[in-house]
Order: sequence, then structure tokens, then C-alpha cells
Amino acid sequence: MTVDLTAAEGVHPRRTLAAADEATTVHPPRPGRRRRRTVAVISALVLVATCVLMVAPFLWAAFSSVKPTDVAFSNPPVFRFGPTFQPYVDLWQTTNFYLYLANTVIVAVISTVVALAVGLPCAYALSRYAGPASLILLVLALIFRALPRFAVVLPMYEISKSIGIYDTRVALAAALIAINQPFTIWLLRNFFTEIPRELDEAAMVDGCTRFGVLRRIMIPLMGPGILTAGIFIFLFAFQEYLTAAVLTDINAKTVPVFIATQIGQNLPLLQQASAATVLLTLPVVGIAFIAQKYLVAGLASGAVKG
Amino acid sequence: MRHSRLPRLHRPAQLMAVGLLATSLALTACGAGSRTGAATATKVACDFTNPASATTVNVLAYNSSAVDPYSNTMVSSCTHDNVTVKHDPIDFAGQVQKTTATLGGDTGTYDVIETYSFVVPDLASRGKLVALDDLFAKHQATYKLDAIDKSLRDAMSYKGKLYGLPMQTQVLTMVYRKDLFAKNNLTPPTTFAELRDDAKKLQDAGDMKYPIALPWSASSDISTAYKATLNSLGKNFVAEDGKTPNYSTPESTKAFEEMKSLLPYMDPQVTTFDQPKVQQQLYNGSAAIGIMFSGRMNDLVQQKNTKLFDQFAFAAPPAVEKGGKQYGALSVDGWSIPFNTKVDQDLLFQVIAASVSEDASKASIPAAFPARTGLDQSASPYAAAAEKAIAGAPPAEAEPWVPPLTSATTDIIGSVILGKTSVAEGTQQMQAAGEKVMATQK
Amino acid sequence: MRRREFWVLVTPSVIVMFGFMLVPLYRTVRWSFQKVEYGAPGTSVGLSNYSGALTDPRLGRAVLFTLLLTLVVTAFCLVFGYILASLVNQLGRMRPVVLGLVLIPYVLPHVVGAVAFSWLFDTNFGGIVNFVVNGVTGGMLGEPLWFTSVWPNRLMIAANAVWFMLPFAMLMILAGLQGVSTETLEAAEIDGASPLQRHLHVIIPSIRGVLGFVLLIFTMDVLRIFDSLIALSPQAVSLGNESLMLYIYNVAFREGAVNLGLGSAISVLTILLILVLLYPSIRTLVREAKAA
Repeated sequence: MTVDLTAAEGVHPRRTLAAADEATTVHPPRPGRRRRRTVAVISALVLVATCVLMVAPFLWAAFSSVKPTDVAFSNPPVFRFGPTFQPYVDLWQTTNFYLYLANTVIVAVISTVVALAVGLPCAYALSRYAGPASLILLVLALIFRALPRFAVVLPMYEISKSIGIYDTRVALAAALIAINQPFTIWLLRNFFTEIPRELDEAAMVDGCTRFGVLRRIMIPLMGPGILTAGIFIFLFAFQEYLTAAVLTDINAKTVPVFIATQIGQNLPLLQQASAATVLLTLPVVGIAFIAQKYLVAGLASGAVKG
Repeated sequence: MRHSRLPRLHRPAQLMAVGLLATSLALTACGAGSRTGAATATKVACDFTNPASATTVNVLAYNSSAVDPYSNTMVSSCTHDNVTVKHDPIDFAGQVQKTTATLGGDTGTYDVIETYSFVVPDLASRGKLVALDDLFAKHQATYKLDAIDKSLRDAMSYKGKLYGLPMQTQVLTMVYRKDLFAKNNLTPPTTFAELRDDAKKLQDAGDMKYPIALPWSASSDISTAYKATLNSLGKNFVAEDGKTPNYSTPESTKAFEEMKSLLPYMDPQVTTFDQPKVQQQLYNGSAAIGIMFSGRMNDLVQQKNTKLFDQFAFAAPPAVEKGGKQYGALSVDGWSIPFNTKVDQDLLFQVIAASVSEDASKASIPAAFPARTGLDQSASPYAAAAEKAIAGAPPAEAEPWVPPLTSATTDIIGSVILGKTSVAEGTQQMQAAGEKVMATQK
Repeated sequence: MRRREFWVLVTPSVIVMFGFMLVPLYRTVRWSFQKVEYGAPGTSVGLSNYSGALTDPRLGRAVLFTLLLTLVVTAFCLVFGYILASLVNQLGRMRPVVLGLVLIPYVLPHVVGAVAFSWLFDTNFGGIVNFVVNGVTGGMLGEPLWFTSVWPNRLMIAANAVWFMLPFAMLMILAGLQGVSTETLEAAEIDGASPLQRHLHVIIPSIRGVLGFVLLIFTMDVLRIFDSLIALSPQAVSLGNESLMLYIYNVAFREGAVNLGLGSAISVLTILLILVLLYPSIRTLVREAKAA
């Protein structure tokens, strides 16, 4: 990794960015057609190198999961081998992996749906109300988001044990909904502020209640925004380790927690852990591919106010 | 107002996304059943009285080829009628952490926990484990429990009461590459001095840069190593008076010096090695000599694990000094019932008794060294070495203060071995920490 | 909007946030004044947890390490994220593919990514990084001790943090770049501005808000880094590579004696530190909101 990044940093920013600009503007013929070509090649290299480095750890884990056990983690590494899917079979059949995967997905879905349901009205209100309470709430939400998780999760462990919901999906989902609320309302509020207030006022003059405005006008208009927020919340819930590690044990265990408990295992089980990594990553990567256009468009249309 | 319609995805990305989802479905279509590791699950009689309602028995046990046969037997043999036995894979560090967590309150998650002689006195003294004597007497005949070695049962007892049902013995055993030893005319070392010699010869012959691999992980295993060295020099953690720690004795200083003398022959990152990593070193041919608990030995001679499977031989570990006990540790692994389980204790005892029954114990050979006497161990490549190791190991310090002393001193030991703290200062710090711990001991 | 409407709409969210976060937070503050462990009531010890934490050099080391890591990772991701976003902005058909690939580290759970990342550097698992780099550079890298030497370990941790946070920076900046007005850009071009000047004086100022937002998120998130250290730095304590969150975890959860009181005190101190660092951003926010 060090080598490739150095190569990227060695690129003169002026040249790379020049290529970016050349494409959009019309200008008199410049000396250095060759310079443009060099720049284009370098940009391509930087992009390819970045893509490779981003995917490398996942690729290596995937590689190790299909190698025969005796060469899976050998040093020096082996690149020619007869692939086998035995670790996947073993993972699926001899462990409760299907349960962990189900838990992860269910908790993510519940979190997303409830977080949106609770956060949408709040974000709408924050974008329309001019009073000081609005500002105070926003700042508080920001502070909540910045809190070290342990300050919140360790007491949750104790509380959940005493009311008996420790190690349940409900408890984990509830914790995640709360933890991700600040982000939810911030993001959605920014989307809402893009919609002019005249629309609300016009609808209310026509006899619509505030809630009706939200339901019938705002939400349909907010489609991309809601989708963006939903995707982010889903991803955050999917990725969560700390909260899940503290609040679950065997019934509600999620895949990240499972993989973390396999770090010190022996060879065949370590291969199963890499198989689990692959199985966790593939659907999420699929979502990333499908969703990235929405993410960019959604974020561009007003996630952040300049 | 910029509320664009949902953007369309270009074809290559679409195809890639579909491809990925399809691949993940295909990979997961192998059938989400729940079968135990077939090769190691022996089915034995597990005839408990069927409980009135559906009962789940949750077992906490780390994975290793030595423990798995027993936990798998529990799951496969005792899951019938209204009872389901569940066991999740977890590594050793995870088991240690979960044990503390589950025994910490009035309710716990697990109904059967794997324990070992190192922790039994401490847990028993704090009332965390159920005494098993009555249940033992009741089911002794059915499961032929008297064949379990008495001395091992004593190792899992505290103040005369049994708190764990032994399943296997684990003893520090040495493994070495017989091909490299033959090539360089070496014999298995019997003292640390010989160990250093052999290692140096291997280095000089160019066969191996770091011939020795030991599990000296600074977060936990290193304190086992220190204990083994100290015990080999004839001292326990605490003196005979039962109050003063021995960390500031000359033997303690010598223990550190001897441990550090091995560093030049070991990988510089040895303080990140737990036992699976030491196995990995041996599999990869990066080390020629290793000392680990016997439960990790059988993996080394499996063809599916390494190309070097037929090059390993076993012996008892060396003593630190000539004539002393070995750099050794004897641990008895077994099953205990936590005090806070809500499942019927009779049922639980039958589950654990079934797992250590004769057939199951026999089937665990050679991966494990069962606690049952009278079993044929000739199939095991390391049994002879293990028996010698058991004979020459230092006697165990079966006292409740051992785990808290270990927790208090592990970081200091790691720091000394890493060279961050001098031996003199390190032993001083350990003595101070040890005295604090002993002050809270009743 | 009328006040009553506001409160009706806002209440569910407020209950969720305050109920699930404020109540536990209060508990943590209570614990910080006690000597307590799970399952047992605590005994009050006044400020001794705080004095114990503040006099322990381990806290100072954790703060310094965390701050240094935050600084390095944020700076690198802002710069390289900008470069990357500009490059990706120029792509046509390949954009979804590149974007999708670059997002992978961001969508992976951090602990899983860190485990896979650590395997690249671990000679017990193939040591592929050493292998490739030595192969390409003819052995110049040697055999750095990625897990037991302070600075190689820090490099690995920083590289991993950059790895999983860069996609977010790039994504945000890319989104921001969509909003840069082409007219202003063309005007600058006609005025004779060089590409670098265009970037420095036109593009970057107009995405100032995005950059500020990215800076805020990065500060908050890298300060609280935890998951990845579990896999990458098993010896964090002795190397001085403990992050603040890992320190809290080690004290309150992991190390045998469950020392909730001390762990809670350190949590409170961390919150204070974060508030101090966030203060400028909060002030700007309030000012801008008041102006709006």
C-alpha cells in the first residue's frame, strides 16, 4: 500500500486536475498534447490503483476462503491451487451462520424502517419551525452523535439485562434506532429545507392539515432523500459491531460479532471466518453498486448546505 | 427545486450488482441445516428424563480439535425430545470473556461452561459453580464415571468438593521437526541450554531463521509461559505462607532471564502469537520447535492442514535447569454447571456425563488426551510424549488467587519480555500488584 | 409552523433519543463517581476515579495517539478524497463501477474489514503486503514488525482508517462538486486562471460547506475509532497505540476486574474532550442557523 500511495502523491496536483478541467472547457490549442495524454494516463493509474487497494483485503479474504486448507494461509503465499468451497459448506452447515445473517438483516431492516418513521416528522418540523427549540434540538442531536458509544451502550447492557431483553433483536434494533437518530434527522432536515415553504402554505390554505402536508406532499417529493437516508441507516446498522458485541450473546448475534470471535481460532475455522466475511460482503457490495447513484444524487441535492 | 427522478444505473454496474447477489445466493444455497462437525460427533446414550417443556441447553466452549469432540457429542447425543443442545463456535479469548460475563449476574446465558483446573478454585471459592458430588454419585454407574482418573477429579475440586467433570488432560508438550533434527544430528532438548544450542545450530545451518515458536501472546498466554518457567525453577506464585507473592524472589528474576534468553531464536513478533499462530508457524515451516498444550498437537500431523504433516515428532518439554521439573503446566479441562442456570441441574449433569462417556472419550483420541483411564492411546502420535510430560510437570498451584494474580501481572510480564521494562523494575511492580491482590483474598 | 405542531411532530424522535441516550448517559455519569461492577450495586468514591484516570499516563498516551491519528487520517482523506472526487467526476461510463468498488471498504463492518486487512500484513497468514512490496521494490521494505513495533503498527492503523473512511470523503465531495456552477468556472477560465487557481479559488470555496461537514464527521468518527484496533493492534496497550475508546473498553469490559467506575469516568472525560473539539463547529452552525 505504501508504494502505490507514494506513486499517487508523487503526481503533481496541477497536472491531474488540469486533465479534469480540460474536459469541460473550450480553449485555444495548448502546447503539450503529450502532456494531456500523460495526465490522462496518470489519472487512470491513480484510479485503478485506488480501486485495487480498496478491494484488496476483501479479495485476499475471498482467495483464502477457497484455497485448500493446507495452503490457505501459507507463507510464502500460493497463487495456484485447486479451489474448494468446503469452508462455505462447513460454515453454513456446522455453525449457526444462517441465524447470524438473518439477525443482521432483520435488525438492519427494523432499524431503518422505525428510524425513518420516527425521524421524518421530526426532520420536517425542524426544517419548518423557526423557534429556538429547533436549533437547540439540532445541536443536541449533533452532540449525541459525537458521544463515545460506550458511555451509552454499557448502561444499556445493564438495563437490558434487568428488564430481560438482553440478547434480543428488539433490544439491538432499539439501541441502533436511537444511536442513528441524530444522523437521520440531520440528513432528512437538510433535504426538507430544499423544498420551498410556499408549497406547504399553498396546501394548508387549501385546507390540508400539517400532517397531511407531510404525508401527501412532502414524502412523495422526498423520495430520493428518503431512499438515501434509508440506505445510510441500513448500512450503519449492518456494520455495527460495538453495540452488537455488548448487547447480544447467542440468540441475537450478528455476523460482525461472530467474525470477531473467530480471530483466535485454528486453521479450518479461520477459513470459515473468511467465508463468512465474503458472504457478508457480497450482498452489501451489491447494494453499494445499486445505491451509489442514489447516494450521490441524493447527497448532491442538498445533504449539505454550503 | 432539484428532485430528480431516480437515476438510471448503467448496464455494467447493473450486471455486476445482479451477479454479486446471485453469487451470494448460490454460495448460501448449500443448505442451512445445523449439523455438527460430522467427523468428531460420536453419538452416545444420553438418557435424561424428558423435561416437560422445550428446553435449550447453551454450551460455552472454545473450539479446538481437542475440545470439539466432546462439545459435538453433547450436541448430537443430547439433542432429542424436548431438549436442544446448542454450541456456538468461539475462540479461547472469547470463552474467557464470556465466562466472566455469564457468571457476573443473577441470570446468565450459558448452562454448561468449559472450565479448567486453573480457574476452578477461584470460581468455586466465589460460589459461581455448582458442586457436583451428589450428581456424580447418582449417575456414576450409568456413565461409568469412576473410570475418570481420581487425581484429575481432585484437580477440579475445591475444599474437597467436585466442581468440574474432567474430560481431558492438557499438558505442555514439545513438538519438533524430526527431518531437520535428523539432518543436523540433533536430539530433542532436555534443558533450556540444550534448547538454545539446538536452535543456534539450526540457525547456523541456514535451515531456519527463527527456529523456536512459543505462544507468548502478550495479552494472555505469556503469563502461562512465565508461570511454567517459574514453576520449573521450583517456585509457585505465592510462598508456602499463603500470603506473600514470590515475584521478587531470585527465581522470578531468573525466570525472566531464561525467557529472554530464548528471544533471539524466536520471531520478533512472538508476543502476538497465540497457540493457533504457533501452529501456523509450524505449518508454514517457519519454525522447527514449538511448545504448546497437548490439545493442539494432533492438528500438526493432519495432511489437510499442512504439507509437513509427516515431519513432526513429539517429546516432553525441556526443564529450565538440569534436574528441575519441566517448563511445564498441567491443566485439566472439564465441564462445569454455572450457579445461575435456570435449567434442571440433573439434566445438565447427564449432558456433561454423556460427553465424557467411554465411547465419546475413546473417539476423541488422538485429538485429545482423555481423563478416563484405561483407554488405548496407541493411535495417538504424541501420547507417549504427553505421558512423560505429565510425569515431569511441576505440581499445579490449585488456589483461588491464581487467576486474579495473573490478570494483575500479565501486562507487566509482557512489558518485561518486550524489553520496555527492566527485569528488576518489572518484578518489583509485579510484587506490588501481587500484594494488592493477596490483600483482598480471604 | 405553530409551536404545538412542532412538538407533536418532534416528540417521538425526542423520546427515542433522550430515552435511549440521555438515560444511559446519566447512568454513566453516576457510575463515574462509584466503584462498581456489573450485577452488583456500587459504592460511592467521590472523585477518585477521575483523579485516578487523570494521573495515569496511559490516558495521556491514549489522547495523544487518538488526536494524532485523527489529524493524519483527516488531512490525508480530505486531500486525497478531493483529488479522487475530481477524477471520478470526469468519468463517464466507468463511474458507477469505480464508485461501487471504492465504496466497498465503507460498507464493510469495520471489524470485519480490519480482520481482513490484518491478514494482509501478518506473516502467519501469507504476509502478502511484504511479499508484494518486496517483490516490486527488490526487498527494500524488509520485514517490518507490523504488530509489535510502534510506528509500523501506527502506519497500519492509519492506513486502515484511511481505507474505510476515504470513500465517505470522496462521496461527499463528489456530491458537492455536482453543485459547482459551471458559469463561474468558465468565467474564471476566460479570465485566464490556471487549473490550480481554478481549484483553489473557485471550486474549493464553493464546496466549503461540504468540506466543513466532512471535517466535522471525520473528527467525530476517527476520535472514536475502536473496532479496527481489536484486529490490528492486539498489543495496543504496550505499544502506546490505544485509542480512547479502546482504553475505555479495556478498563471497563475486558480486563478481568470489571472496573465500570473508572471506565465511566474516562468516558465522561472523552465526552468533554469531544465537546471542546466540536465547539467551533457548533458555534458556526448556530451562527449560520440564526442568519437563515
